[in-house]
Amino acid sequence: MNPIGQQAQRDPQPITTTGHEDSALVSAVLRKDRKATAEFVARYADDVYRYVRCRLAPRNEEVDDLVQDIFLAAWESLRQFRGNGSLRAWVMGIARHKVEDHYRGRLREPESIADEDQDFTAPASSADFPQLLETEQLRKNTWRVMTRLPEQYRLALIWRYWERASAREIALKTGKTEKAIERLLARARAEFRKRWKDAQFS
Amino acid sequence: MPSFPDEEFFLQIADQVELSDSTLAPARLKAKLYSALVERQRETGPLMSLTECHDRGGRLCVFEHLVRIAPVGEMMKSLNICRVCHARVLAENMENPPMYWNGCPYVEFKKS
Repeated sequence: MNPIGQQAQRDPQPITTTGHEDSALVSAVLRKDRKATAEFVARYADDVYRYVRCRLAPRNEEVDDLVQDIFLAAWESLRQFRGNGSLRAWVMGIARHKVEDHYRGRLREPESIADEDQDFTAPASSADFPQLLETEQLRKNTWRVMTRLPEQYRLALIWRYWERASAREIALKTGKTEKAIERLLARARAEFRKRWKDAQFS
Repeated sequence: MPSFPDEEFFLQIADQVELSDSTLAPARLKAKLYSALVERQRETGPLMSLTECHDRGGRLCVFEHLVRIAPVGEMMKSLNICRVCHARVLAENMENPPMYWNGCPYVEFKKS
């Protein structure tokens, strides 16, 4: 299945639980009630899996390990759950941090695709992207292009635009300079634009 | 044609195209998650005993029931007995293993 979709149409409805239910589940898991632990997995595995799978696509081979890391991290810090928000939101917060860690590791690696001298700052023309009007086509094209981008470009774009991290934040987390991240983003956008255009004529 | 700044284009795409889908986690993965969590819990001390699990309304599988009523101490009933159960091995390695026992978490994952 194509792991990209329009939010309004395809986002699964999260399981809604009351604060009392969440607290009871947390308390039971902390007491090492194995049935509660099974319930914890059953309740959140789908949400976490979907999130990680879409953030790492097309590298599906790393999804299972990362999902497991997330659940183990949730167990390790479960005592810190205060019940201010839902347990689902809390677990998904851990998932976001873990995905960010994954991005950080990937973006710290030396870039295999770099062309420092090329100017990537030229703005695109709206004529390049007529599909903006066709949302289903936009969805398909975006997915097709994203999955074919070099990994560092793809992760940089997702981190910046889907996770809404600023170039400065990404720079701080990866140990690179803000300028280096901006250059990376510029190259990623240019590559995206190029492949987008190519996709129109293929 | 008016210019279309990159930044705006990507923000617009991210707004319109959510990276999400309706795929469920494989039962095999849920089985591994459960096994890993229970094993991690066990590493820091005994699990809640099967007697207490049962008293709190937890549904036990037939194997767990046998251990619960066996004339052994609570320590034995606090072991991670799933670790030696073939259901765990099957569930972690097959997406739809032939297992049907009530109360077995691995079977429940298969149904989800």
